[in-house]
Amino acid sequence: MLKLNNISKSYNKGAIKAVDNINLEIKTGEIFGFLGPNGAGKTTTIKMIVGLLKPDEGKIILDGVDVWEESLKAKSMISYVPDNPEIYDRLNGIEYLNFIADMYGISKEERKEKIEYYSKLFNIEDSLGDIISSFSHGMKQKLVLTSALINNPNLFILDEPMVGLDPKSSFNLKELMRKMCDEGKIVFFSTHVMEVAEKLCDRIAIINKGKIIAFGTMDELRAHAKERESLENIFLELTEDE
Amino acid sequence: MNKLFSLIKTDLNITFGLSSIIYSFKAKKQRWQIIVFGIAMLSLIPTYIMMIKVLDTLYDSFRQMGQQSYFLLMGFLGAQLLVFFFGLLYVMSKYYFSNDLNHLLPLPIKPSYILTSKFITITVSEYITSLPIFLPFIFIYGIKEREGILYWFYSLLAAIVLPVLPLVIASIVIMIMMKYTNIKGKRDLIRTISGIAFIIIVLFIQLKIQKFAQQSIIQGDDFYFNLARDANLLVKKLGIVFPPSMWGALSLANYDNLIGLTNISMFVLSGIAGYMLMIFLSEKIFFDGLIGNIEVTASKGRGKKKDLEKTSFVTKPYLAIAKKELKMLFKTPVYLMNSVGGVIIGPLIVVMSMATGDTSMEPLMEIINRNVDIVNLAAIAIIGTLGILNSIGTTTFSREGKNFWIQRTLPIKSEDQIFGRVIASMTIQVIGAAVLIGSLLFIIRLDFISILIILAVGLLASIPMTEIGMIIDILRPLLTWSNPQQAMKQNMNVLIGMGVAIIYGGALFLLVRFMYGNMDIWKVYLILITILLVSAVIFFKVLNTLIEKQFRELE
Repeated sequence: MLKLNNISKSYNKGAIKAVDNINLEIKTGEIFGFLGPNGAGKTTTIKMIVGLLKPDEGKIILDGVDVWEESLKAKSMISYVPDNPEIYDRLNGIEYLNFIADMYGISKEERKEKIEYYSKLFNIEDSLGDIISSFSHGMKQKLVLTSALINNPNLFILDEPMVGLDPKSSFNLKELMRKMCDEGKIVFFSTHVMEVAEKLCDRIAIINKGKIIAFGTMDELRAHAKERESLENIFLELTEDE
Repeated sequence: MNKLFSLIKTDLNITFGLSSIIYSFKAKKQRWQIIVFGIAMLSLIPTYIMMIKVLDTLYDSFRQMGQQSYFLLMGFLGAQLLVFFFGLLYVMSKYYFSNDLNHLLPLPIKPSYILTSKFITITVSEYITSLPIFLPFIFIYGIKEREGILYWFYSLLAAIVLPVLPLVIASIVIMIMMKYTNIKGKRDLIRTISGIAFIIIVLFIQLKIQKFAQQSIIQGDDFYFNLARDANLLVKKLGIVFPPSMWGALSLANYDNLIGLTNISMFVLSGIAGYMLMIFLSEKIFFDGLIGNIEVTASKGRGKKKDLEKTSFVTKPYLAIAKKELKMLFKTPVYLMNSVGGVIIGPLIVVMSMATGDTSMEPLMEIINRNVDIVNLAAIAIIGTLGILNSIGTTTFSREGKNFWIQRTLPIKSEDQIFGRVIASMTIQVIGAAVLIGSLLFIIRLDFISILIILAVGLLASIPMTEIGMIIDILRPLLTWSNPQQAMKQNMNVLIGMGVAIIYGGALFLLVRFMYGNMDIWKVYLILITILLVSAVIFFKVLNTLIEKQFRELE
C-alpha cells in the first residue's frame, strides 16, 4: 500500500504552493490514475514519492517503509519513469540496462531474462547495441520502461507514460500495467489522456492548484459531477472554475 | 546585422549565465555560494602576488642586460600561447559540440554569423584567461620604465587584440581538422586523439624553435657586443616562435617612434586579417565538419544475440558507477580533452620545458640526479595537483546534468557513489602518473624504488584531491547545462576546488619543506602518507554525509 499523509510542497519560500496538504491511499493491486491540468502539481507529487523532491510536510509510506526515512529500502521497491526520458546518451542501450541492473543488484540470469522479455515486448531488442543518442524519443521512453521493469518493482510510477509511444507499445504497456496489478503491485501514473485513465484505472484522483479536487472510482466521480458521460467532461467541469 | 547582435547577445547570456546569476542574486539561499566563491578566489591571491614578485625580479635581470623588451615579449608570448591552447579546447566544444547548434542550424542564419557570435563569446572568456597573465608584464614594464601616455594607449589596444589572432588560428585548425576527420564510426575518438596529438606536436615544435633560436644567439663571440648594440635583439631572435607576439612587444618597447607605430599596426591588422580569413573559410568549411557531427547514425539494429550476451557481467555497484563515469568521460570529447588531455599534456609541458637539450641545464640536471628525494617529492606533488586539475572530482555530479534523476531514484549507497567516482578519477590519474614517470625517465635517472614511491604516494595524494573536488561539486552541482563544455570548463566548482586544493596542498607543501632535511627522508614519507590517509578518510566521511543530505534535498 502507498500512503501519502498530509503532503505539502511549496516553491520560492512558500510563495507558490505546488502541492497543498494532500492525502492519498492507494491499495496494492491497484492502477491509479493521477490527472490534472498543466502545473497542477502532478509531477511535483510524483517526484516526492520517488525521492527527487523532499516534501515540506507529511509522510509517504510504501508497504510500511517511510520513503524519506529509509530511502534506500524504499528505492529498491520503486521504479520511476519520468515524463522526459533524459538518460546517458553516450552509452549504448545494453550498457544502460546493465548499469541499472547493477544498481538494483539483479542477478545475471534474472537480468538476462527480464531484458530479453521487455525489450522484445517494446520492440527495441535489435537496437540495444546502438548508442542511445541515436534513439528516437519513443525508443528512449521504451528503454527507460525496460530499465524500470528490471527490478520487478512493488510500485511502478510513471509520469505521462504514453507520450511518444507507438500504438502497439502503448497497448502493450497498458496490458503490462494490468498484469502487474494482478500480481499485487501498484501502478501509479499521471496522464492527460482521459480515455486511457477512464478505461485503465481502478481509481483516479484529479489534482488542481496543488489540491485533490476529486478522488475515487469512475463511478464515484460520475456521481459527483453534473455532466456524467465521460471523464473528459468531469475533468473539464471540475477544473474550469478553479 | 540585427540577427548577428541578437545571436551575440544570446550566446553571451547563455555562456556566462547572466540571467541565472541575476536570478541567484535575488535568491538569498544562493548568496552564500558567491561568498564561498569569493573566499576561494582570495586564496589564489598569495600565489598571484608571488608570481608578480618573480616577474619583477625577472624584469630587473633583463634590464641589466639592456634587453627589457624581451620581458614584454614573454608577456605577449605567454598570454597568446595560453589563449591558443585553451582556444583549441574552447573552439572545438563551442563550435561543434554545443547543444544550441540543434536549434541554430534550422534557422535562416549564415554560418559566419553563428561563428562570429561564438567567436566573440570565446574571446571574452579568453580575456579572463589572458589578462591576469598579460597585465603584470605591462604594468611592471610601464611603471618601472616610467612610460608615457601613448604606451598605455598602445597597451590597451594590444590587450584588446591579444586573444584574437591565437583564437583565429585555433578556429581555423579545428575547422580544418573537423572537416577531414568527419569519418563515420569512431569520429569523436579520432578527433580527440588528433586534438591532443596536435597540442603535443605544437608544444614540441615550439620548444625546438626556442632552443634553436637560443643557440643561434649564443653562438659567436660577438654575442655581448650585439646585445649591447641592439636593445631588441632577444625579441627579434626569439620572437620568431610567434611573430605577432614579437610585433606586440616591439610596438610597446618603441611606442615613441615609427617602429612602434608600424608594429602596433601589424599587430592589430594581423588580428583583423586573420579574423576575416576565418570568416571567409567558415562559409566554405564550417558546415562540412558540423553536419556530420550533428547527424547521429540511425539506430542500426545490430544482432541482438551478441548484445544480450553482454548482460552476463554482473558488476558491483561502485564498480558499475566507475565504469559508467569512465565510459562517459571517454565518449564525450570535451570531457576527454579536459580530463585525460590535461593529465597527459600537463606533465609533458613540465618535463619538456626542462628537457630543451640546453647544455646550460646540465649542472641543474646533475643536482637533480643527486637529490632523488626532491624529484620524488616534486613528482608526487605534480600527480597530486593533477588530481584536482583533471576536474573529474569537481565536476562528477555536475556532469550528470539532466540525467541526475537516475542516480537519485536508484537505491545506491553514498559509499558506492564515492568509491565509484574516486576510482574513475584514479584511473585517469594512473594515465597521468604513467606519462609523468615515462617522460621523467627521458631526462633523469629514476630507480625502481623511486618509481614505486612516486606512483604509490602520488596516487594516494590524488584521493583527497578528488574528494575535495567532489565535496565542492555536491554542495553546488551545476545540473542545468546545455553543453558539456559548461559542465567542465565553465563550471565555477573547478575554480573553487582549485582554491581549496591550494590551501590543502600548500599546507602539505610547507610541512614537507619544514620536515625535509630535518629528519630522515623515510620519516618524511611516512608522515606524508599518514596525513594523506587520514585526510582521505575525513573527506570521505564529510562526503558521505553531504551526499546523503544533498541527494535528498536538491530540487
